[in-house]
Amino acid sequence: MPPRKVLIVDDSKLLHRMFEMMLRQYPLVHAYDGKEALERLGENGDVDLVLLDMNMPRMNGLELLEAMKADARFKKIPVVLVTTEGSEEQTQRGLEAGAAAYVKKPFRNEELIAVVQRLTGSAA
Amino acid sequence: MTVRVPKQTDEQPQRRADALAELQSTLARAGELLLSLEQSARRPGPGPTSVNELQDRLNDVVQDRDELSRRLAEYEQQTGRLMNLYVATYQLHATLDPGEVQSTIAEIATNLLGAERFALLFWNADGTQCEIALGQGLSQDSSGFYPAGKYAGGDPAVDATLTDGVLRMGPIDGSEAVAVVPLTVQGAVVGALVILKLFEHKAMLRSEDRELLDLLAAHAASALFAARVYHQTDRKLKTLESLIQLVKRG
Repeated sequence: MPPRKVLIVDDSKLLHRMFEMMLRQYPLVHAYDGKEALERLGENGDVDLVLLDMNMPRMNGLELLEAMKADARFKKIPVVLVTTEGSEEQTQRGLEAGAAAYVKKPFRNEELIAVVQRLTGSAA
Repeated sequence: MTVRVPKQTDEQPQRRADALAELQSTLARAGELLLSLEQSARRPGPGPTSVNELQDRLNDVVQDRDELSRRLAEYEQQTGRLMNLYVATYQLHATLDPGEVQSTIAEIATNLLGAERFALLFWNADGTQCEIALGQGLSQDSSGFYPAGKYAGGDPAVDATLTDGVLRMGPIDGSEAVAVVPLTVQGAVVGALVILKLFEHKAMLRSEDRELLDLLAAHAASALFAARVYHQTDRKLKTLESLIQLVKRG
């Protein structure tokens, strides 16, 4: 099975760097807000998973998730919300909008890797 | 058990002698086989003792496997912690833009430590006032220690750390702070990162968070100090270059 491509959407450079270290087995695509993420998705038709922050400038995580689910090209791509928004209400909103999973920051690295492996069907 | 074999005599006819020789050979082989069976019967078989030994060895293997699994989990956690420390250090020193260094400190506090409310304090140039260089969630702080972009003083943990440069983790009597991280440059305390509240899903700071706090104490201020010095130098250089251009034109 070819390596699964993962799109990282987060406005934190620190988090992008962390994901690069944690997910070295996966080809990564980077975006720093929702609008840029839509551009990256359009350019990369083979994205298998999206790791998505909630609080971002221009277009936030929930807006991007809704835009993806409304677009036939992207609606089947699983999305993991990776966010500091820890309340049950926020979790519920994300899941209702179509998120496949929800990881709260700060997270343990092995916890996030397990979610990525499960949703990409790959063992890192 | 032994087998007696009759001796061959010279006066027997040839055919009878051959048959007797064959019989002797067969009986000799049978004797060897019986001897072998007797020896096998005397050896200990797979009785209760052997089963117990096998069970003990299996238990040892299971214990070894569990121990290896536990160590692997510890190793993975340790690797994760070291990776976080590496990334935090890398990112702190990856830029010479003071604003970006401050943002990195905030990102470490939020994303790696789970701080919902915090203040990054720095002494002003003459050391009379501690200013809030960066804050998050301070509008919801009811302590009154952080009004109008300044630290007013009065929190015993923050006051102590700003004086002696010692990292403090709460709960501390009379203090609102969850942790107070000194920011030092060449041994001098230039400020502090005060964590006032953690996210609801993060109940408390863990032992591994202490390593990150130590890292911030060691690297955050020097990274910010270097960026500010570079920024000031760069600004002066550009001013001088502009003056030189003006002189050349004049």
